[in-house]
Amino acid sequence: MRQYELMIILDPDLEERTIQPSLDKFLSVVTKDNGTVDNVDLWGKRRLAYDIKKKSEGIYAVVTFSAESATAKELDRQLGLNESILRTKLLRPGA
Amino acid sequence: MAKPVVRKPKKKANPLKAAKVENIDYKDTALLRKFISDRGKIRARRVTGVSAQEQRLIATAVKNAREMALLPYSSSAR
Repeated sequence: MRQYELMIILDPDLEERTIQPSLDKFLSVVTKDNGTVDNVDLWGKRRLAYDIKKKSEGIYAVVTFSAESATAKELDRQLGLNESILRTKLLRPGA
Repeated sequence: MAKPVVRKPKKKANPLKAAKVENIDYKDTALLRKFISDRGKIRARRVTGVSAQEQRLIATAVKNAREMALLPYSSSAR
């Protein structure tokens, strides 16, 4: 079990109220494999330093969770497949 | 014979100590902006005055922040 920090940039055209449910759906992978989601921090809409997929804004979310490395990898893979996710970054804090 | 001019480099105050920062986080863009030039380049250690270890952490933090579009790769401020 390891501590992870995941930052997600979501499509800015998403509706504000659909974000939390869709995040929960993705994070269910973690809880399903005996991991724990410790904190979800929604930063909200933020200007990007450069355009990603022709978008100049993005909705930022930072999630801290602990899970096995395979689970974390799987979560990152699934996020990458989704069209409405512009970018992700999976890090282990302090490593 | 002219005496060679010996320059003593002036030691800079460590800006991280002044700001009381313990761990350098790529999400803390306000702090990282102090370590990049107005064109978006990472400032050299002789300019920033931090230790080699800290400079390395700053460099990775800036690069991570760039990947997540928190900081620019280059800004066309010309």
